Amino acid sequence: MNTLSGLFLSAAGKFSSRTAVVEDGISVTYGDLARGALGFASYLSSRGVRKGDRVAIFLPNSIEFIEAVFGGSLSGAVSVPINSSFKTDEVGFYLEHSGARLIVTGDESINTALKASSGRGIEAVSIKGDKAAWKSPGNQHDEAAEAGVGPEDEAIYLYSTGSTGKPKRVARTHYNLSALADNHTETVGWTEEDRVLFVVPISHTYGFGNFISAVKSGAAVVVSGEFNRNGVLDLLEKERITAFPAVPVMLDVLSKTYMDGPRDLSSLKLVISAGAPLKEETFVKFHEKFSVYPRQLYGSTETGVISINLCGGDEIERRFNSVGRPVKNVSVKVFGEDGREAGTGEPGELAVRSPSMAAGYYGLPEETARVFRDGYYFTGDLGMIDEAGYIYINGRKKFLINVGGFKVDPGEVENLLSQHPDIAEAAVLGVTDGRGNERVKAVIVARRPMEVKDVLGFCRERIAEYKVPALVEFRRELPRSPTGKILREQLK
Amino acid sequence: MRDAIKSRVKKILSVNMLKDIDLQELGDDTPLLDYGVGIDSVSRLEFLVALEEEFGVRLDEGEITPDFFETVDSISDYISRRVP
Repeated sequence: MNTLSGLFLSAAGKFSSRTAVVEDGISVTYGDLARGALGFASYLSSRGVRKGDRVAIFLPNSIEFIEAVFGGSLSGAVSVPINSSFKTDEVGFYLEHSGARLIVTGDESINTALKASSGRGIEAVSIKGDKAAWKSPGNQHDEAAEAGVGPEDEAIYLYSTGSTGKPKRVARTHYNLSALADNHTETVGWTEEDRVLFVVPISHTYGFGNFISAVKSGAAVVVSGEFNRNGVLDLLEKERITAFPAVPVMLDVLSKTYMDGPRDLSSLKLVISAGAPLKEETFVKFHEKFSVYPRQLYGSTETGVISINLCGGDEIERRFNSVGRPVKNVSVKVFGEDGREAGTGEPGELAVRSPSMAAGYYGLPEETARVFRDGYYFTGDLGMIDEAGYIYINGRKKFLINVGGFKVDPGEVENLLSQHPDIAEAAVLGVTDGRGNERVKAVIVARRPMEVKDVLGFCRERIAEYKVPALVEFRRELPRSPTGKILREQLK
Repeated sequence: MRDAIKSRVKKILSVNMLKDIDLQELGDDTPLLDYGVGIDSVSRLEFLVALEEEFGVRLDEGEITPDFFETVDSISDYISRRVP
């Protein structure tokens, strides 16, 4: 079983009567999910989608998102998940760049999908809501809609935030995804008794990797489309969640959230923290409040999960800041600037070899050759590995801003701001707030008098909220070096 | 009591804000947008948590509207209605 569709059908067969997905209190079994996915595959066929065609999935975490992913894999289509908070221009980029034939979304976002697909020959349909064009399980399943997919066929396109102004497309094959699920499952050991809460978007590599591992294990996937502190605590308690992949800012605010009374989170066995470094304060407070230690996980869009910290309870307090040891079948090395492999405890750039890693970036041969070489993916993250094999990350080479686990490319925001008629020039950088979290700051040289709300309004209409500058400063000019390079340190 | 609430709100703002601010200059009706307050969901959440810790009341982000973050007055008014 080395395809995504094979993984899914195997789980559906073994666990058909068990809960597969819970959304807003509604449960579907693995059997229901399989019928829904097969029905969706037939629907795709009726829309002319064939093996290899790209289907964009512009939905929040939901039953429909999951049916679309697995239905797409059954039909041989390549899924292109798009963050449900993205705006028209962002969605348009993904549709154009991926060569999508169809975009599926919900009633709430159909207008955005229609605008983004307009003039591109791409059909946009809602599959979630009262106006849905297709509802599970759909018409009688047409077996002809199932395409024979092989391990080397592309299954999904994910996009990695770069520092080049545009996201980079990464294709993961069916083999990559089945290997990812194997690596994760063999290391973390979820079973059909587990119940995993997904508030982190499944459209993103972190959520997606944990999600397919949960499905392979037959675990129940409890989904929420948004992060609301009390809503999450309600779900953790009432749905008897056993595992909760999260990002540090979620854990931080949960650990400090006002509670009227105690919560029974005794079912919770594993809390995963990824996307950004976990602060010691958060680690300590979360454990004090909920009696569970957050465990850091490390991964990337290019590779999927790389490592997870599952050290014993007697060690976790002194190793909390490690992202753990590599998961099964994954190898991690550290290389110095001179290209030589670093020794134990020596700092350098982390490089990963994994059966779930992509082969490169679409349309970017130079960038691909730069970071995918000698069988390894060079992450751009700086760190070291200790004598027991635990990985520690202490910096990055890439010029990205990390907002609550979401990576922001300053170049993308700068390009956008430069399109505003009243902005002559803009520089975007990351700044740290009083709580040690990174935020996006824009320094603007305006042609005419502007206000902060003008800049924010312009951004909010065009990019997802996490990319919108949290701080805007106006200057007469940007500081530059003698060679014309912007001196960003002087803008902080 | 309302003045005491405002004073405590201003102190929290000064810790959570992105740039140094002289509390003496922060007016009760100064637009907080200019200081990066309430713009992104992460900073909104962290600010709400800080207010919850300070005042011992629940401030659910699902019930709070964007105008809550507009000024010291708007924040203080809301809290004063929640504090017993």
